[in-house]
Amino acid sequence: MDGLQSWWSYVVGHSDDVFEATLEHAQITVTVVILATVFSVALGIYVQSRPTSKAIALAISGIFLTIPALALFALFIPLVGPGNSPAMMALFLYAILPILRNTVTGLDEVSPAVVESARGMGMSPAQQLWRVRLPLAWPLIMTGVRISTLLTVGIAAIAILVGGGGLGVFIQGGLTRLGLPNSVESVWVGTVFTVVLGLALDAVLSLIQRLTSSRGLRA
Amino acid sequence: MSESVAPVITKRRADQDDAAKAAVVSVTSTTRLWRRFSLLLAPVLIVALALVLWFYYQSLGVGTTAQIQVSSALDWDTKLRPQLTQHLTIAFWSTLLVIAIAVPLGVLLTRSGVRKIGPAVLTVANSGQALPAYGLLIIFLALLGQGARTVIVALVVYAILPVLRNTMVGLDSVDRSTLEAGRGMGMTRLQTLLRIELPLAVPVIVAGIRTAMIINIGMATLAFLIGGGGLGITINSGLKLNQDPVLLVGAIMVALVALTFDWLGALAERFLHPRGL
Amino acid sequence: MAVEPKIRLDHVSKVYPGTDTPAVSELTLDIDPGEILVLVGPSGCGKSTTLRLINRMIEPTGGRIYLDGDDVTDVNPDQLRRRIGYVIQQIGLFPHQTIAENVATVPKMLKWEKKKISARVDELLDMVGLDPRVYGGRYPKELSGGQAQRVGVARALGADPSIMLMDEPFGAIDPITRESLQNEFLRLQDELRKTIVFVTHDIDEAIKMGDRIAILGKQSVVHQADTPERILAYPVDDFVRSFIGAGTAMKGLAFERVGDLDLAPFDGPNGNGESGAEPTGTITADATLYEALEEMLRTADGKTIVLDDSGEPAGVVELSHLSDALRTAQDEARRHYDELEAAS
Repeated sequence: MDGLQSWWSYVVGHSDDVFEATLEHAQITVTVVILATVFSVALGIYVQSRPTSKAIALAISGIFLTIPALALFALFIPLVGPGNSPAMMALFLYAILPILRNTVTGLDEVSPAVVESARGMGMSPAQQLWRVRLPLAWPLIMTGVRISTLLTVGIAAIAILVGGGGLGVFIQGGLTRLGLPNSVESVWVGTVFTVVLGLALDAVLSLIQRLTSSRGLRA
Repeated sequence: MSESVAPVITKRRADQDDAAKAAVVSVTSTTRLWRRFSLLLAPVLIVALALVLWFYYQSLGVGTTAQIQVSSALDWDTKLRPQLTQHLTIAFWSTLLVIAIAVPLGVLLTRSGVRKIGPAVLTVANSGQALPAYGLLIIFLALLGQGARTVIVALVVYAILPVLRNTMVGLDSVDRSTLEAGRGMGMTRLQTLLRIELPLAVPVIVAGIRTAMIINIGMATLAFLIGGGGLGITINSGLKLNQDPVLLVGAIMVALVALTFDWLGALAERFLHPRGL
Repeated sequence: MAVEPKIRLDHVSKVYPGTDTPAVSELTLDIDPGEILVLVGPSGCGKSTTLRLINRMIEPTGGRIYLDGDDVTDVNPDQLRRRIGYVIQQIGLFPHQTIAENVATVPKMLKWEKKKISARVDELLDMVGLDPRVYGGRYPKELSGGQAQRVGVARALGADPSIMLMDEPFGAIDPITRESLQNEFLRLQDELRKTIVFVTHDIDEAIKMGDRIAILGKQSVVHQADTPERILAYPVDDFVRSFIGAGTAMKGLAFERVGDLDLAPFDGPNGNGESGAEPTGTITADATLYEALEEMLRTADGKTIVLDDSGEPAGVVELSHLSDALRTAQDEARRHYDELEAAS
């Protein structure tokens, strides 16, 4: 209880800093996820009907996800220098696979009978995509976006190690002062607020998912 | 970290729509193509990356023409080799412990008595993805002090989620009628578990273990932060010294380790697949 | 043939890339306005391919297709399809849209006014026996198979196309529901008079639904295209004979009504005594000969009493009436084919 109290008083005492770091963390995440969504959905639409391209795109984006975060962050430093940029580039690469895979799966799953009847009623390929195939794949695409968001929020905490910002600042700050007063509180702030930010963004996305998915698709 | 999420959703949605069955067939064939492709692509990439690293390392002239900072940071016998060993040791023990804890726990949580809390556990497991590995590591440092042991404990806590989740999902997705058939033939609950449920769930569980292993290799990169060693040291030296060569050698080595073990995991997944699935 | 055919397939072929044998080979077929032409044949004969060539879901590799005399082989296929209703076995309703939105699909694409669209949707749902106020706002997953297929038909009728293509539309529906959907559809067709091409593998469905039937063999070769009566009375070759299967003669009985026969007089309860046991079964004059046969067999009398509208006995139908009727139909059909042969 004591620990919780001292933690809370630390949060209140540093509320401006906490707010700013959370905001920066959120900005990094949201920017990365938006870019990754646009890129991955477009790529997913393009490769879905091309089996070889599809396999290559999925395999490569899977490889990014395999490379440890610090290593991938570091690989961008020679190109763009330290700061948020190398972190965001690496995070972008991480965020591709879940969205890409769900876009492809979602489009693959659209019943052939539905596409056949859309075509049979005289819908052009673009109309089939916008009016039928994408709306049907949408709930699954949004699930991919949510996965990518959680992933990005968690990994973004190490942006500090390559000279970036965000909530990792509090973790790093606690580490360097470890043993001194408030150091553990600082680490907890960074950790807890990262999780809370992740859950908050997920809640928002879940709401968007609900509002933008047809009622006819709900289980 | 999210390997199993989409397939599970896929399954549920597919069940809803009979007409989609044909489409589902095409999904699995794509997935298979993708898997096979990854299996082939990975070794090519690994060898290419290893060659790049080798020539790059040679060109640096470590111990001869390179700056003293670079030479000392990249010395094979005193730096890179021990770091690599530490890295792999950490990843190995944490993965082993994760399996030892998460698989039995997953089995337990899918037994009929406690099944109801399963979905809640899965929800927590899913949202655990937002948990920052870095923060977790430092919290454990504060609790347990420095060293590789602390790293391993932190990794176990962090990587338990995917294995737990996949064990539960894998066991849950075994067709009820298959279980009924087993029970109908007079199998005990333990027998249905050992002879039907677990073998059928193996592919999903192995996929979870592979994910956990990759997480562990990745997090072992951060072990240096709490005195646990590993290849993260080299990356960090590169950052601190502002020496791109050091940074690159460290990062590429870590990437190589991760890609190699991921590939081995993919092979295991492929060959541990029960025939007929 | 005074009327211009609604649809004319002129030596239409389809060869899939990478194969030598055509899926459809030089098919020539005329479909008259307002008729239901059933394409029937064993699975793999190319009947679905043939149907899909008409709205160019599959592009033909040879031959021409004419609608109302216009060559549509090269027009924009999307524009073409909006003029042709299309119903498939799996229905393919859009699961993310309400029933009303589904039915409104083609009118919306044709940019009808909103009011006109919603009036049309209500009219169509009424037409297929679904209350628009109840079902309009529902989603496809909330419908039974039979209801979904009704919506499928309504959706295909969206912009009032004069042509409907139906690919085994009732094939996935349970037998009882199928029967009632077939009957309803025939009743609807009596009002609408669409030109319909209907694919099935079920000869009984073909006989029931078709004004004409085209029996297709491998590569959609037409073995016989004629009215169900003539096909049953006079199968032109062994392929047709074996395809229509056993009980051909009996199936033929379903096309004539008892009232059209020259009945034997009814001589009162004991009057027909000398020609054997008196008949006990009764049927009405609008019963088919098939029903009359069934009644004769049921009562084991070999004949049955025919009642008029007021329920009074009007005469007696005997087994010989049935065999005479069959023979007449066969003779008529044979003469028809002889004339055709002589003409060519």
